[in-house]
Amino acid sequence: MTDQTDARLIPSFVEQSARQRVEGMLDPGSMRELLSPFDRMTSPWLEQQGVVPQFDDGVVVAKGTLNAHPVVVAAIEGSFQGGSLGEVAGAKIAGILELALEACQLGTPTAAILVLESGGVRLQEANLGLAAIAEIQSAIVALRQHQPVIGLITGPVGCFGGMSITAGLCSYLLMTREGRLGLNGPLVIEQEAGVGEYDSRDRPFIWSLTGGEQRYATGLVDAFMGQSLSQVRAAVLDCLQQGVPEQFRSDTIEASLATLGQVDTEHQIDATRARAILTQEQPS
Amino acid sequence: MQATAQPKVNWHSRRQDKHRRMAALNDLARGSVIPTADIKAALERLLHPGDKVVMEGNNQKQADFLSRSLAGVDPQKINNLHMIMPSVGRPEHLDLFEKGIARKLDFSFSGPQSLRIGQLMEDGLLEVGAIHTYIELYARLFVDLNPRVALLAGFKADRAGNIYTGASTEDTPALVEATAFRDGIVIFQVNEIVDDVTDLPRVDIPASWVDYIVQADQPFFIEPLFTRDPRLITPVHVLMGMMAIRGIYERHQVQSLNHGIGFNTAAIELLLPTYGESLGLKGKICRHWTLNPHPTLIPAIESGWVESVHCFGTELGMEDYIAARPDVFFTGKDGSLRSNRAFCQLAGQYAVDMFIGSTLQVDGDGNSSTVTRGRLAGFGGAPNMGHDPGGRRHASPAWLDMKQDDSLLGKGRKLVVQMVETFQDSNKPTLVEELDALAMARDYKMPLAPVMIYARDVTHVLTEEGIAYLYKAQSLEQRRAMIAAVAGVTPLGLQQDPQETARLRAAGLVAYPEDLGIRRSDASRDLLAARSISDLQDWSGGLYQPPAKFRSW
Repeated sequence: MTDQTDARLIPSFVEQSARQRVEGMLDPGSMRELLSPFDRMTSPWLEQQGVVPQFDDGVVVAKGTLNAHPVVVAAIEGSFQGGSLGEVAGAKIAGILELALEACQLGTPTAAILVLESGGVRLQEANLGLAAIAEIQSAIVALRQHQPVIGLITGPVGCFGGMSITAGLCSYLLMTREGRLGLNGPLVIEQEAGVGEYDSRDRPFIWSLTGGEQRYATGLVDAFMGQSLSQVRAAVLDCLQQGVPEQFRSDTIEASLATLGQVDTEHQIDATRARAILTQEQPS
Repeated sequence: MQATAQPKVNWHSRRQDKHRRMAALNDLARGSVIPTADIKAALERLLHPGDKVVMEGNNQKQADFLSRSLAGVDPQKINNLHMIMPSVGRPEHLDLFEKGIARKLDFSFSGPQSLRIGQLMEDGLLEVGAIHTYIELYARLFVDLNPRVALLAGFKADRAGNIYTGASTEDTPALVEATAFRDGIVIFQVNEIVDDVTDLPRVDIPASWVDYIVQADQPFFIEPLFTRDPRLITPVHVLMGMMAIRGIYERHQVQSLNHGIGFNTAAIELLLPTYGESLGLKGKICRHWTLNPHPTLIPAIESGWVESVHCFGTELGMEDYIAARPDVFFTGKDGSLRSNRAFCQLAGQYAVDMFIGSTLQVDGDGNSSTVTRGRLAGFGGAPNMGHDPGGRRHASPAWLDMKQDDSLLGKGRKLVVQMVETFQDSNKPTLVEELDALAMARDYKMPLAPVMIYARDVTHVLTEEGIAYLYKAQSLEQRRAMIAAVAGVTPLGLQQDPQETARLRAAGLVAYPEDLGIRRSDASRDLLAARSISDLQDWSGGLYQPPAKFRSW
């Protein structure tokens, strides 16, 4: 390319692969990938079910530094099996978090960055996937006492199922406008509630309820970022500098439950009403 | 001969007939305006059984209120109509035949209704006059298919009947011309009727060509058909795009062109500002375009590649962007796009260096077709642009580059490029022994097989394996070997003789990526100037407003 200065040609963070995201996040030259594709740690279950496995099982984990601060990064590759987590993929994330915890305990404060691009548990590995996600969650709860655990949801897949609960445990959660966060994915809700209530093909409607802008406005995430690598990196650095928060979002569960209790299910909820309820700005 | 025995000839029968029909509407219409609720009664009075009726159904402007109303008339009163339709896209278009209101159909393209047309033919309810290309159908309107009535769509009208078509002018001028000046009756549905001509953004069709206007019960249907989401462009598309730019656009200095609507050509559009730029080709290729305003063309326009674009129709979401780039697009004094399918098809046929597009099947000789068995999809415009027009006389570097000798009596050729992956999504080979179109012709006893582009017009076949420079073939046998050499592991490709393929590559008749200096591993999505709809919107400075179905935010 002759015109190196044209910023419009640089891929946004959203369009990058998991490995590109990890590499871009870390200080140049500092990335050390663990269990890389050359280690061929693949899922033992997929092939038996006629699914072609991937040598990294769809998760990239690495150690490195961010502005010279030691960090571990785990990024889920949304284009492999919808970012679903099975035995190996889940263990890689839990393992890297546990390494960070060990490092903290041994005197090297090490933060964690999780790039969450996941439909949740990998159905082909059901129980093992569930167990792995539980391990990830315990590791986050242990590590966040020492160092920030920063979750990113940038899209295009979004973060659903068990991983949306995981996202709620992070010290900080950051989203872009293309990111979505929800317990059930749109197709599942449509199947359960009916297309009249939740049309999964009505994209502006889906994003108005679960998209990054709405999640930020309703206080469920801590920052609403731009989509370029530099903007994402700056938002992460900001959290790193803030350090361990005084209170975790998951500690305020009683207040959140009380708010949910006020929801009047007689009426179809929309984005505006959801904001009003969650921010308690006007009683409804 | 007795001089006094001259029979008295009525030279005014068509005009008198028109006036009689219109007189029947005196108590219904207020001037030119037919009240919305009275449209069915009006159609029943204006139409006679057996009339030739042209109905506007385009890609992006449907006279759907009029077609729904026509499908509701009493078949006892109105029947056996002969419908002439560029595009048969809506279910009610075929309800007309099921109910007996219409009987005969001349058309160009049927898309989503293709299966039902075949069924209605088998049931004996629909008789096809002929399946045309677009220009061919417009041309016949002026010869033996003069319409008695034209049912058309516009965006706005004033009370006198001046019409603003909106950015999708599409077929309207051609259909009106053939009707208005042959004593036919011209009826427009519009979304809105304003009081005065000064309330219209501009006049696309003057009131003196129009007999009636009616306000539709809801705005006409429009769908974004030409938007390709860059997220769905694969590394294989990128590789093929690089080969096209290197091995065809650059080699033959293609300056004016039409692109099909597939992901392959969308990839090329997105590679111009990156890969094309790195080859130093800006200003040397791809300067003038005839195509719909593809959103994937935005990065090339914004980085200065594109001097002009003339459009068949518009594309939803592109309105503000086009209006802000009048140096590139054809626009009216009001600033909005003026499209025109007939002129754009002519431009694509006669004035461009190259047509490049995808297809569903290519046979060993290079004939191609988009027909799949049982579906009568029609031709649309691809055959107009995808052939070498014998009437062309002006030279351009690319056109002359196809000339095989220095004879002053020889001519150049238009480049007609078929760009296909060797397999379709469903693992069906694209390169086949025999086109499904032949079985179709036998099934329906058609006089000729529905071939989209004939082998003799195709100059290049480009697959992910390589490029076959068919215009250089010395014999039919050599031509078949060239196609087999790029047919990969399809049954056709497995027949290739490796030694013959090596000879063809050495002679420059076939080029693989490495022959063009392209490393397959370089073909990555990172080369695309935009990788998502969101990127396209950013390139447009926020002017492009993607329709809801393409948004992911």
